Amino acid sequence: MNGTIQAPTIEYALLAPMLVVFGAAIVGVLVEAFAPRYLRSAIHVPLTLLSLAGAFALTIWQAAAKGIPTKAAAMGAVAVDGPALFIWGTILVLAFVSVLLIKGEDHFVAAASAVPGSAEEEQALHEGAAHSEIYPLVLFAVGGMLLFPAANDLLVAFVALEVMSLPLYLLCGLARRRRLLSQEAAVKYFLLGAFSSAFFLYGTALLYGYAGSIDLAKISTAVGSVGGQDTLLYIGAAMLGVGLLFKIGAAPFQAWKPDVYQGAPTPITALMASGTLVAAFGALVRVFWVGLGGLDWDWRPVLYGVAILTMVVGAVLAITQTDIKRMLAYSSIAHGGFLLVGVIATGKAAAQNASALSGILFYLVAYGFTTVGAFAVVTMVRDAGGEAWHLSRWAGLGKRSPLLAGIFAFFLLAFAGIPLTSGFFGKYAVFQAAVSGGALPLVIVGVVASAVAAFFYVRVIVLMFFSDPAADGPSIVLPSRGTAAVVGLAVLATVVLGVYPQPVLDLAHSAAQSLFVR
Amino acid sequence: MTLQAPGFWPPTGPEIVFLLLGVVALGSALLVVTTRQLVHAALWLVVCFGALAGGYLVLTAEFVAWVQVLIYVGAVVVLLLFGIMLTRAPIGRSADLDSGNRWAAALVALATAAVLVTVVVSGFRTAYAPLDPGQGAAKPLGSSIFRTWVLPFEALSVLLLAALVGAIVLSRTDIQGRK
Amino acid sequence: MHIVYPVVVSALLFSIGVYGVLARRNAILVLMSVELMLNAVNLNLVAFDVWLRDRLHGGQVLTLFVIVIAAAEVGLGLAIVLAVFRNRKTIDVDRLRDLSEDLTEADPEEVRP
Repeated sequence: MNGTIQAPTIEYALLAPMLVVFGAAIVGVLVEAFAPRYLRSAIHVPLTLLSLAGAFALTIWQAAAKGIPTKAAAMGAVAVDGPALFIWGTILVLAFVSVLLIKGEDHFVAAASAVPGSAEEEQALHEGAAHSEIYPLVLFAVGGMLLFPAANDLLVAFVALEVMSLPLYLLCGLARRRRLLSQEAAVKYFLLGAFSSAFFLYGTALLYGYAGSIDLAKISTAVGSVGGQDTLLYIGAAMLGVGLLFKIGAAPFQAWKPDVYQGAPTPITALMASGTLVAAFGALVRVFWVGLGGLDWDWRPVLYGVAILTMVVGAVLAITQTDIKRMLAYSSIAHGGFLLVGVIATGKAAAQNASALSGILFYLVAYGFTTVGAFAVVTMVRDAGGEAWHLSRWAGLGKRSPLLAGIFAFFLLAFAGIPLTSGFFGKYAVFQAAVSGGALPLVIVGVVASAVAAFFYVRVIVLMFFSDPAADGPSIVLPSRGTAAVVGLAVLATVVLGVYPQPVLDLAHSAAQSLFVR
Repeated sequence: MTLQAPGFWPPTGPEIVFLLLGVVALGSALLVVTTRQLVHAALWLVVCFGALAGGYLVLTAEFVAWVQVLIYVGAVVVLLLFGIMLTRAPIGRSADLDSGNRWAAALVALATAAVLVTVVVSGFRTAYAPLDPGQGAAKPLGSSIFRTWVLPFEALSVLLLAALVGAIVLSRTDIQGRK
Repeated sequence: MHIVYPVVVSALLFSIGVYGVLARRNAILVLMSVELMLNAVNLNLVAFDVWLRDRLHGGQVLTLFVIVIAAAEVGLGLAIVLAVFRNRKTIDVDRLRDLSEDLTEADPEEVRP
């Protein structure tokens, strides 16, 4: 050290997708500061969509033209490997779709600081005020989602976790209707999120003390070589796991999910249910496989139990729900459990790990699209006071709007994993990997849980098609072009992945082939 | 790193100072979570953070210590005090600060403490670090931040921007703007 | 310096924070308790950094990052809490019960204060 700082090497081309998203977010903030109010939405929407599309194109270009890098980028901070590129592509497409949904209708509050029902709110509504800052905030969150699954050390993982979560805490509280519920969701998400990230950090600190580094690869080597401090390692890994499992909403850390999914504005719920879940699973798999891979005999039984509990809680509690968004939230919890089955399906052979990983990747794509589509349908069924959430309001929907009810029924069947939908192949891929990994009992629990969940989905379908609509039933709003496109895309993805999944399966397989770089 | 660790007795000067600061930090932290007066909780938090900053100084992490004083004591506690005032908390005792499950919480906390203390004591019983000043000065920290940790550092700046924009979105009232 | 001193202080501080989060009802007090937990982490990280003589200063750098993130979190958290306070005149987390399992029968729009 002679007074100068050696310049770090940053692989800008490799990080380009992430940099584009963050750059667009910052440009968005500048637009917010300098563009006249009436122009802002007109600038934000194309800016946001173009940046996401551009980042997607860059991801594809990286994977197709330049090959998959074999070492971590940016001074070892970020690992842009096959799985990371696949996850980036998935997140970017899902975020693109969610932004279409965000722009679709007036989901967001006109003036967040005004008290509901007050004169200020009336005035803001009257003047057509809107928080166009939502777009840059979404981009910030998406940038965090991209960084999180690619984080190669726990420091980057923590920063990414917060970059992803902070904007989402806020966006949860911005629903236009049912403001109190929305703000309550924001408070709960925030307090529980902060609590869980403290656990994540304490786990990081203990692992740092154990391994002498927060780099995942170095932790992995230390697991093999440092002896005599096993309890430290276990407790550190457990606390780290609590933080990660909280983010994916695995039982027993699932309590926030129904509350937050219900209270948040529906497009944000769609973004959280798809993008956040994908990102958090990417990070979870990387931390457990790369960082704690040598410890898999110890964490596997624990995750085994967590997976069973998550599937059972998700499936059984979904049955008791009377609110459509809470029901979808419990369905998301159950799907988190199915995905955990894939995380456990590791083995000694690299081929086993690759097949488990490709199963997880495919499942994430399939579930992400279907869930965005389902939430898009929820935004279209309206009462006077906003979206009609109570299930009884959905009775007879099939008679008033057969197309919409049919599409929703199709999504529900995909959640249940009926053949010819994407959900079937997702479950098949994950469960097959688990069986060959020797986790047969877990797969049996998984199949039973899907059957229980299917029972409930079928009940909703029966309710929609075979009961009489209420006289003052909800109205179906004519979807805006954005919402219609979202629903169309989701249907298309669910059908194509259900009938002809091979290309995406192959892609997931080749992404998983190289496994994670270390 | 653990070679020739001296015994626990007699404690060295820095150790005595650190332990005293630790007792102050723990005592004031306990008061933060048990006091019946909201404003006092924030003030005890200042004491706790200040004692920890002293602890960092003893541990030769001088830059971290000053950042702790500047940001935690200077900014975070002031923000919290603003929050207390803006939510019109009563000055003086309030009866409803604790929830009904205080005993369950105490039980969970005691269990956490028991597990963690056992683990760290068994893990670091023999760990000994001779303290030599200058390790945690701004210069070595800065050169490692701007080399090894530069990407998370930049991500952090983005995070601050996002938090700033977010807090403004929620709070500003002139949303109609200039016409 | 025996490293066991700071790490024990840190473990106890973390537990006190856990108690505060679980036992307190006022959202701002919960936030303060989370800050205590984060400070416990920081003490741990600094102690390990000094002990390991980390050439990259991973521990102290992470401490700095945690401090900054905590500040951002408190800022955003207070904004959210104040927004709730404006509407409900309370920040008692025990009384934020509109979102729970049995809510759905009542129309939430009618629960306005």
